[in-house]
Amino acid sequence: MVNESAERQTALYDEHLALGARMVPFGGFEMPVQYEGILKEHDAVRKRAGLFDLSHMAQYFFTGAGVGEWLDALTVNKVVTMKPRQARYNVFTNERGGAHDDVIIYRLDDERWLVVVNAGNAAKMLAYLQERLPSGITFTSKHGTNANIAIQGPLSQQLLAPFVDVELADLKYYTCMECRVDGVASIVARTGYTGEDGFEIFVEGEAAPRIWRKLLDAGRDDGVVACGLGARDVLRLEAGMALYGHELSEEITPLQAGLAWVVKFDKPSFVGKEALQGQAQADQFSRIVGVKAVQGPPLREGYVVKHDGLPLGEVRSGAPSPTVGANIGTALIAKQAAAPGTSVTVEIRAREYPAEIVALPFYKRAAS
Amino acid sequence: MAQPQGLLYSKEHEWAKVEGDVATVGITDYAQQSLGDIVFVELPKVGAKVDQGGNVGVVESVKAVSDLFTPLSGEVVEVNTALEDDPSLVNREPFGGGWMFKIKVSGDLSSQRSKLLDASSYEALIRESEH
Repeated sequence: MVNESAERQTALYDEHLALGARMVPFGGFEMPVQYEGILKEHDAVRKRAGLFDLSHMAQYFFTGAGVGEWLDALTVNKVVTMKPRQARYNVFTNERGGAHDDVIIYRLDDERWLVVVNAGNAAKMLAYLQERLPSGITFTSKHGTNANIAIQGPLSQQLLAPFVDVELADLKYYTCMECRVDGVASIVARTGYTGEDGFEIFVEGEAAPRIWRKLLDAGRDDGVVACGLGARDVLRLEAGMALYGHELSEEITPLQAGLAWVVKFDKPSFVGKEALQGQAQADQFSRIVGVKAVQGPPLREGYVVKHDGLPLGEVRSGAPSPTVGANIGTALIAKQAAAPGTSVTVEIRAREYPAEIVALPFYKRAAS
Repeated sequence: MAQPQGLLYSKEHEWAKVEGDVATVGITDYAQQSLGDIVFVELPKVGAKVDQGGNVGVVESVKAVSDLFTPLSGEVVEVNTALEDDPSLVNREPFGGGWMFKIKVSGDLSSQRSKLLDASSYEALIRESEH
């Protein structure tokens, strides 16, 4: 299949076309935004399972005795205390406390690490990390050569287990294992971006199409389907997860994004620490909150949010939520209007519609 | 796919069924497929005067907001209130239960018709845009 656009293709590109996916350029790659439809795919993940191609995200491998300390100085969360096989969400910061990128760091063993970076930030992060790479640490990028297949939904474990040569039930949330998937050396992590149980499989690109097809075949009778970026965005929004460029950015800090739990001020030093300490102390910052529309059209990025008639915020993400049964979104709003329960209005096409500030997340899966 | 006969089509992918001086208007199957799951429809108000080609409302899918145009001029006499509770009707029955509004057509109908397409011309338009 000839790809006439300038975007790159993941290893699963032909699979998406064969499934009739609608493709869009995203983060430098041609990616599937939907197959059968966003709402159908969303439903599959919440009730059964869905497969996602996340191979556009950059997989950066680091090896060396000093990786933990080095990453500790560049991020807000603690890295050096991670145990082998542990995964941790983290944010690389700038001197103002804003975010270069939000990532998941996987510690494979004492000296081997995987950092997964957003596709849209890969060029920036590649340069940033290479400029600062100490001697004694080797760096290998598998961006565009490795694949990442995510399985998300309540049926994930039973779907994946037969293909893996380890006991998947023993893989706890936010841990990873090096193992074989369909006989191929892989890293399997129990991480995800949907709020459901699920796994991410990091594997060489050549093996991905076969694994993808086998998982889809195995899950077909149980209603497991391929899911695109459109469904992924609704799922992560319901689960209260930040999307870089919306809830986090070079200007929107982790504290503003509601990620204070990720920021470890007892680390001796890290980029942006002083700025974030100042922000925390003053506590005057505008912040990301959940917004639930009472009625009217979907909330969309850029819509002005008003409180008592004053424009005090703007919508950063929005989607109709099948799980919540309402139009939801996030907004960056002034502190005085940010308390859950606050009544606000959202300006949509020159009309004001009533909405309510709600605490994130909108959805949490039932404890199992 | 063969488009229903007896309808007029616009380049913005609306259809119009003219019966007497009243036209029922909706969006085509091609339009609903392109838009994906439709989650909100904003229709013109009953009594509104609309001009051919004018923007009269909005059709929202999960990811996007799309303008709704009118293929003919006139006065809006009825809107499909069923779409308030079930906007997905547009996806399921674009030519039937997913109709959007009815207008009492005014002005020079034959001149307005000349700006619209019949079924085979609309089919040709779709085929071209798919390449």
